[in-house]
Amino acid sequence: MILIDRKYLLLLALSLIAFTHPVQAQDKTTVNGTVKDKYSGESIMGAVIKIEQLANIVVTSNEYGFFAIALPKGKYDLRISFVGFEEKRVPISLNGPLSISVLLESKNQLAEVVVESKRKDDNLIKAQMGTETLNMKSIAKVPVIFGEKDVLKTIQLLPGVKSAGEGNSGFNVRGGASDQNLILLDEAPVYNASHLLGFFSTFNSDAIKDATLIKGNAPAQYGGRLSSVLDVKMKEGNNKNYIVNGGLGLISSRLSFEGPIQEDKSSFILSGRRTYADIFLKASDKFKDNILYFYDFNAKANYKIDDKNKIYFSGYFGRDELGLGSSFGINWGNKTGTIRWNRVISNKLFLNTSFIYSDYNYDVGLKNGETQFNVNSNIKDVNLKQDYTFYFNPKNTIRFGFNSILHTITPSIFSGTVNNSVNKVGRNGLENAIYVNNNFKANQQLTLDYGFRVSAYTIMGGDVYNLYSGNEKTSSILLQKNAFGKTYLNLEPRITGNYRINDFSSFKLAYARNVQHLHLLSNATASSPSDQWIGDSYNIKPELADQVSVGYSRNFKNNTYELGTELYYKGMQNQLDYKDGTNINTIADVESALLYGIGRAYGFELLAKKKIGKLSGWISYTLSKTERKIEGINGGNWYNAKQDRTHDISIVTIVELNSKWSVSGVFVYNTGNAVTFPTGKYSLGGQTIYQYANRNANRMPTYHRLDFSVTYENLNRKKHESSWNFSLYNVYGRENAYRISFQDDPLDSSKTQIIQTALFRWVPSITYNFKF
Amino acid sequence: MQSKIILYLFLSVLLFSSCDKVITLPIEDNQSTVVIEANITDKLGPYSVKLSRSIDLNEANIYPAIENGTVVITDNTGIKDTLTYSKGGVYNTKLIKGVYGRTYFLEVTVDGKKYTAQSTMPYKVNLDSLRVNVFPINGKNQYSIIPGFTDPLELGNCYRFIQKINDTLDKNYNIFNDNLNNGKVNQRPLNNGNKDLTIKVLDFVSVEMQCISASANLYYYSLSQQSGAGPGGGTAPTNPPNNISGGALGLFSAHTSQTKVILIPFY
Repeated sequence: MILIDRKYLLLLALSLIAFTHPVQAQDKTTVNGTVKDKYSGESIMGAVIKIEQLANIVVTSNEYGFFAIALPKGKYDLRISFVGFEEKRVPISLNGPLSISVLLESKNQLAEVVVESKRKDDNLIKAQMGTETLNMKSIAKVPVIFGEKDVLKTIQLLPGVKSAGEGNSGFNVRGGASDQNLILLDEAPVYNASHLLGFFSTFNSDAIKDATLIKGNAPAQYGGRLSSVLDVKMKEGNNKNYIVNGGLGLISSRLSFEGPIQEDKSSFILSGRRTYADIFLKASDKFKDNILYFYDFNAKANYKIDDKNKIYFSGYFGRDELGLGSSFGINWGNKTGTIRWNRVISNKLFLNTSFIYSDYNYDVGLKNGETQFNVNSNIKDVNLKQDYTFYFNPKNTIRFGFNSILHTITPSIFSGTVNNSVNKVGRNGLENAIYVNNNFKANQQLTLDYGFRVSAYTIMGGDVYNLYSGNEKTSSILLQKNAFGKTYLNLEPRITGNYRINDFSSFKLAYARNVQHLHLLSNATASSPSDQWIGDSYNIKPELADQVSVGYSRNFKNNTYELGTELYYKGMQNQLDYKDGTNINTIADVESALLYGIGRAYGFELLAKKKIGKLSGWISYTLSKTERKIEGINGGNWYNAKQDRTHDISIVTIVELNSKWSVSGVFVYNTGNAVTFPTGKYSLGGQTIYQYANRNANRMPTYHRLDFSVTYENLNRKKHESSWNFSLYNVYGRENAYRISFQDDPLDSSKTQIIQTALFRWVPSITYNFKF
Repeated sequence: MQSKIILYLFLSVLLFSSCDKVITLPIEDNQSTVVIEANITDKLGPYSVKLSRSIDLNEANIYPAIENGTVVITDNTGIKDTLTYSKGGVYNTKLIKGVYGRTYFLEVTVDGKKYTAQSTMPYKVNLDSLRVNVFPINGKNQYSIIPGFTDPLELGNCYRFIQKINDTLDKNYNIFNDNLNNGKVNQRPLNNGNKDLTIKVLDFVSVEMQCISASANLYYYSLSQQSGAGPGGGTAPTNPPNNISGGALGLFSAHTSQTKVILIPFY
């Protein structure tokens, strides 16, 4: 691991703001503080702090609720606000450094907006582009399949985000592959965010506070994936009262328990979830040997050491089990753990140090008569991160830090009566990054967020690395254990700017380069647990993406309606695929079968929201194109990526009928995925074999679906709260094509039959949620 | 591995409501292409080469035979054989003998266009026996066949098994190689049929074992990976990579051939 001198980092950070305004010689001091929810003690990220006397100062709290403002000595009135909470006015008398604690009281309002902004016109002042934050409390009313509210399903209703398939929690952002999303759970990367072959996500909504999706123009503190960052944060736990939360559904149930460790200072939360479809299967003769369930646990605790130091512990453990009696079994899961230490170093400098562990593995076991074997694959990360926030002055907030990750990637290894003929071992790679990012509020109109990240990936020893030129192995490198091999070094510049044209509209522009050092070798479109990860090597170079986007936002009717449009172009290099007919699970060296190429994606996104009132919701529309060009595929010509879809529309509506009843609906419509249908056929060995022309030149049939849900809430702040949710997925029972296959007609073998498989027609569900 | 198939099985269990229906789709025009099916085995000749053309997807499965082709096979010992046309697009050898380790060169000319291929016959690995593998699933016995053979120590052996259940061809491709369990006695069963054709008690199951070349292995394994289109486990299929240059479909394979039959007893 690298150790970087703090002073050096600070110097680096300061170099970024050298060209901004000279520091005034005025007698300045600093006020800092934390913003929290009065009832739960949860810290509030993104609260807006304004100063009545100085109209041009606007500061937002960071992910730990912390903020700092440097001001000349004097008397001020702070105004602290956050959507869903009453604004609070705090008068301060600033004679020297001051720390305050702000407790915001939530409004007893009903109309909560699903895609939430921190401030009513937040969309017009933020420099960030392509960013949406989902608050878990507010997505509860959006209908989803099986009635289990799910952050991954809800983000698929946003522009530029495409579902990987019916009911699937895998997603594609702006033409990226599903492995190009950095999914973080309390900073720990989650390598496979799906349960039950993708029908559920790994995120238990009871344990989650919020989730932020950034579509390719992330600030420099994020890195490692090309297309997006999904930053999911777990709840901290109520530090005032003990609370039990739970839900009973047809497929799964949840229970969580939270409360104070020391009142007002520290708290914990424990959540668990399990499905019970297997219990029904056991009751049926036909399926009694089928095993089919998952469970997961989330735990988090925080401890306040003193006013300047706070420690957070969080962990996740989840497992999926599928099986057929003792003859076949497959199980997979993620484990993550994070220890974080928040430290207020000075009035202006905030530090978060994180130590993160993440582990994803899968195991397939087959016991078939005398054959008995297991196939294992695993990816493990140990990660150290330091992130500094330096509140230099009201105009410049600088973040800088470093991140070192040791990856251990073990490919599919067989054990039991079946063994790999060529011994396979795990590989290590060291990923290091340093970054600096400045948020610069030039004036009332212009905000810039700019910085860069330097990322490095070092191949580590313990294995033989073969080099290939085309099909031919040209040489081999044996790296001794713990020896360092080749290092790939990349500079990732990032800039986003927001220009506020007037009170109701703004213009945005962004450029970012992202680099990815870990690659998923996938052998199916659906996210399958047997997918394999591989790090950079002598053949595999880091994937690069350059994205340029421009946007225009406009609010109407006193910020009641919000319209956001963005245009993007993304160019991708060093994209991976593998040769036809490769079995990546058994092949001796998968690198011998890899193909390399480039990609491009461009599109237009529109998001119109109504944020306030009894009727709220949004309409999102995406027009896009996504292509790949890989030597060895489709004759080396451009072809549509499998996730390419021309049109994507989602409409989400929530109507609050009264304080108890609300109804909501979701309508989605999209062009079918790009697929390859045969154009002809021939016969060989007495079998019909299909002839294919261009890759992914065909389309699945158009997909559309309407979902509907009704929620009854019994709100009583003092004692119990409960709600019932009734939902119907696919209201008009459309048979959307999940798979299209070709076969000889069983009745007339001289004809070819095209079979369409649809998964769901109507899926009703009932969920009962309680809290006491 | 059958894991993919079993995953689908789970999906269908999970989704009691999944439904199949026959649909029609607009299909692009097909480019009719020369198809070459050429095999040389270690059995006595004559060996045959079949020439036909591919057809549109919605045509009836009647494949036009190519009657005016020229087919020449030579081997690395210098034997040259110009095949004679029989009927139905089939051309037969006169001189060529199938010998282990020998390399054969195929040259086909159709309408002035030349297609070439080469294939080396692998050394024979003996099929010692067939055994029945019984495993209960949900209270019902399932049967599959384990071909008994010992893989040689040297890496790179590939096998194809053609299974017939009471003389009906099982359309699954059973393609093995020694990337797993090199040099060991085989314990891996063949596919146990499909939903329309399963192995039952008192069935006669015949298994032909072929030792095939790496190029035939690639061709057949690619075919076995093709499975429909769409997000439901679909792949992006292409014409399987073959060993014929000049743009023809099909395969030239020199391989061994040995067949055994087993009767499934009561369990």
